Amino acid sequence: MSFAHPLWLLAGILVATVFLWAAHRASKRAAAAALAYSNLAFFASATRQRIDPALLIAIACAGGIVALGGALAGPRFVANVPVRGGAVVLCVDTSGSMRATDVDPTRAAAAAAAVRAFVDGVPDGTRLAIIAFAGGAGVVQPLSDDKDAVREAIGRIPPPNGGTAIGDALAAAARLLPPSGRRAIVLITDGVNNLGIDPSQIAPQIGASGIEIDTVGIGTNDSGQLVPGTDQAASIDEDALRQIASSAHGVYARANDAGTLRAHLAALANSTTTEKKRIDASLPLAVAGGVVLVLALGGGMLAGRFP
Amino acid sequence: MNPLRAAILRGARATPRPGAATRGTRAGDGFVFSQLRGYVEGDDPRRIDHAATARVGALQTRVYLEETSLVLAAIVDESGSMSVGRKRPLAAAASEAVRAWFGALEGEDQAARIVDERVVRDRRAAPLVRATAAFRFGPALAIALRALPRGASLLAIADGFDLPDDESLARAALRFDATVLLARDPWRDDLPLRGIVRLRDAENGRTRRVFVGSQTRARYRIAARAREAMLRARFRDAGWRVGVLDEGDGRVSLLHAFGLPA
Repeated sequence: MSFAHPLWLLAGILVATVFLWAAHRASKRAAAAALAYSNLAFFASATRQRIDPALLIAIACAGGIVALGGALAGPRFVANVPVRGGAVVLCVDTSGSMRATDVDPTRAAAAAAAVRAFVDGVPDGTRLAIIAFAGGAGVVQPLSDDKDAVREAIGRIPPPNGGTAIGDALAAAARLLPPSGRRAIVLITDGVNNLGIDPSQIAPQIGASGIEIDTVGIGTNDSGQLVPGTDQAASIDEDALRQIASSAHGVYARANDAGTLRAHLAALANSTTTEKKRIDASLPLAVAGGVVLVLALGGGMLAGRFP
Repeated sequence: MNPLRAAILRGARATPRPGAATRGTRAGDGFVFSQLRGYVEGDDPRRIDHAATARVGALQTRVYLEETSLVLAAIVDESGSMSVGRKRPLAAAASEAVRAWFGALEGEDQAARIVDERVVRDRRAAPLVRATAAFRFGPALAIALRALPRGASLLAIADGFDLPDDESLARAALRFDATVLLARDPWRDDLPLRGIVRLRDAENGRTRRVFVGSQTRARYRIAARAREAMLRARFRDAGWRVGVLDEGDGRVSLLHAFGLPA
């Protein structure tokens, strides 16, 4: 957090301190006019009062004054705020290697469950699309802010089969996205690109157009497992996925199991649909401080004998 | 006879509870020695004190208090907490009750006011003497137990914020015809306060601001009544006669404690 005019905040603190001191002095002067009572300890236990109400009011007033001073100081801070109308394309690998069972029950099933978690996690109004890719890339669900439709589309992701054309999927996703606004591609894959466009070439171009690419590697290396129906070892090209992500302002995450995959996607659902924004808190702080001050002073006067 | 005195006398002669120690002032015995004086014609020769006669060289007769004589003792809470009240201090009502109490003295009756941890036996001074030190009920009762004869009639007036332990109360009730007037909280039925109010503890002078709303008043009413009921039960269980000292009239409060009409 930063302040445009920090001296105002100091002035607010100073005024609040003077106010508390004056309230304390006035309170001591009023002590002489106190009503004699036989036993204060009994009164306190009988009425269950532990806090001095006038002290509470004085503290609230001081808080209001500090808030007003803080508002004049122009407080600003950077926060992640949800983006209205953001667009995210989920690229799901459906190559034959996704049949591997090193991730329970299979990589493909775990990916589908994680995509569902992603859809559940994004704020309403975010437009989502799903692209399935193997030897080529196909749009399963065009951009839509209808979450139910997107959930339904998850069931239409084709079964794993064929090669891995990561570059084609990224190109198709970039075409789906609008030309401006918060845009992201989430790539979920387990393999090495072996068909189509070279992803290391297209990813920087996509990144240059302001689109973020986040990659999630699914599966295990050196597990000794083979891709079912082949003599090919189930592996993952992490360096390539890391490079794709870094060239397009994104992040790479690795998921060895279904739970981790779901957690990564849920986190991406938040990060790809929010953006860091500089927020000026002057007005809300001024309103809050004013309301507290008015309520505290008004309440104190209505309750009588304040301070 | 003063109806209050008659009631006190009845109480002093009352048979103690079964199994308890006797008070020693039952009708017909337990005469209390008063003084020696020279023999006068008509004195009961059985009351001639031979040792005193030998010392003085003339017949000396032992004079006893009549069995209708009373020893009226009083312990009065004069602490700051008795200075509170709605229209006047509770202490004013306490003074009225004490005056009425010692006003029942007649003939050979004795007075004893325990004040400032000493016993004032002067009948004229007893109702008027004022404490100069802080009041403490426990030590005052301990002095009464040591200094007063069995069967004395003891009146205690207190607001119950500083009470002796139950054992001392029970011992006092066995030894004396003990009566307590519990000072009624002037605000027991309703706190006449609204909003933020500063209260000063009458005992120690500390002040505190409190907020009095309808909920506070309701809670206070319940707690004040429960406290009074608890105090009454405590004294009653210890064997004391219990009355309530109302701010309005101390004398009437005392009469009510003995079941007498105002």
